[in-house]
Amino acid sequence: MTFLKSQLKNNRFLIIVVLAYVAVGLFAPSKFLPSLDNTWYYVKEMLMIMPVILLLTSLISAWVPKETIENAFGKNSGIKGSLFAFLLGSFSAGPIYAAFPVCKMLLSKGASIANIVIILSTWAVIKIPMLITESKFLGPEFMIVRWILTTLAIFLMGYITSRFVKPEDLPADNETASSVDGLVLLNPDYCVGCGLCTKIAPRHFTMVDKKAAIISQTLSPGDGQAIKDAVAKCPSHIIRFHP
Amino acid sequence: MDIFTLIFWVITLVWLGFSLKKDKDKTLKAIKMSGGMMKGIAGDILGILLFIGLILTFVPPEAIKGTIGQANEVVSTVLFAFLGSITLIPAFVAFPLVASLVDAGASIVPIVAFLTTLTMVGVVTFPLEKREFGLKFTLVRNSLSFAFALAIALAMGVIL
Repeated sequence: MTFLKSQLKNNRFLIIVVLAYVAVGLFAPSKFLPSLDNTWYYVKEMLMIMPVILLLTSLISAWVPKETIENAFGKNSGIKGSLFAFLLGSFSAGPIYAAFPVCKMLLSKGASIANIVIILSTWAVIKIPMLITESKFLGPEFMIVRWILTTLAIFLMGYITSRFVKPEDLPADNETASSVDGLVLLNPDYCVGCGLCTKIAPRHFTMVDKKAAIISQTLSPGDGQAIKDAVAKCPSHIIRFHP
Repeated sequence: MDIFTLIFWVITLVWLGFSLKKDKDKTLKAIKMSGGMMKGIAGDILGILLFIGLILTFVPPEAIKGTIGQANEVVSTVLFAFLGSITLIPAFVAFPLVASLVDAGASIVPIVAFLTTLTMVGVVTFPLEKREFGLKFTLVRNSLSFAFALAIALAMGVIL
């Protein structure tokens, strides 16, 4: 029952649209098949692009050395740092809020305000798999022109923001205040719902409403390594482990 | 299949072959992770695609041209930029939606404004961003993103 409930909640939009189709079938039956027909065209386009997006996202997350890029930040805040920021955003997966904890961590490593803006914006607008989807649906020319303009805008925005906002305007890290109870901690606000932690350490993590949740704090032999693995693999770095 | 999609398929499959050969376990784990993320938005994708079918059937192309066409470009651009700011849907899902509007004759300027604010300006995620980076940073970043989204949209209109 709770499973059904959460499925209904997660797919609210789909359900509304399906109900609309039922209404169309009842009250305007002549429009029913044309609607499905119009949908079918876009479904076909989507099916052509989806596997490639899925695989490419996986390959990027497996092989692009994100730790190396992240570690390069503290040292470089000039042009090189900005380029790293741009690359990091371009090769990441998940929505913009998944970038918040990553940026927070980079700030504590010494990243500049300008570079944080660059990561956030790049992460949001011009990720590689997104560009492929854009080119598929709106044409390569559209995608390339928008990419160039957006890239220029992002570097400008980084510069302008760093003029207005100084590091002291940012709130101090409140990590210590929040890590009072438990060995394993997790902030579900930034979870992208990939479910990787539940596969790596199924005894400690589960998915609730598309977000990861902790189910157990007890450690059996071997669990420590699994949790450490989950911490390392989590794409938005939201799991903390203090054994 | 168009040439661009084909090129991406080839690159991806070649890379996948190398990846599987080099580290099978790592590759499969990564695919599982992206698969999980994709499964999370599968319902939304199907919903949007079915919704597109309804729009294209019930809203005649003339109406789309009239509201987001050349005539009201400035008004519709600002309106679409606002719409993009308050919506939080994956861009992945947004592309087929806006493509269907462009196919029906919508002007690309409001469409670009929507796409850019959709991903870069976050009204829904504003409280989260404020908590992590403070009010000033969040305000400056989001307002700049909104302004630049309009600028990019207008420039696209001139170039294309």
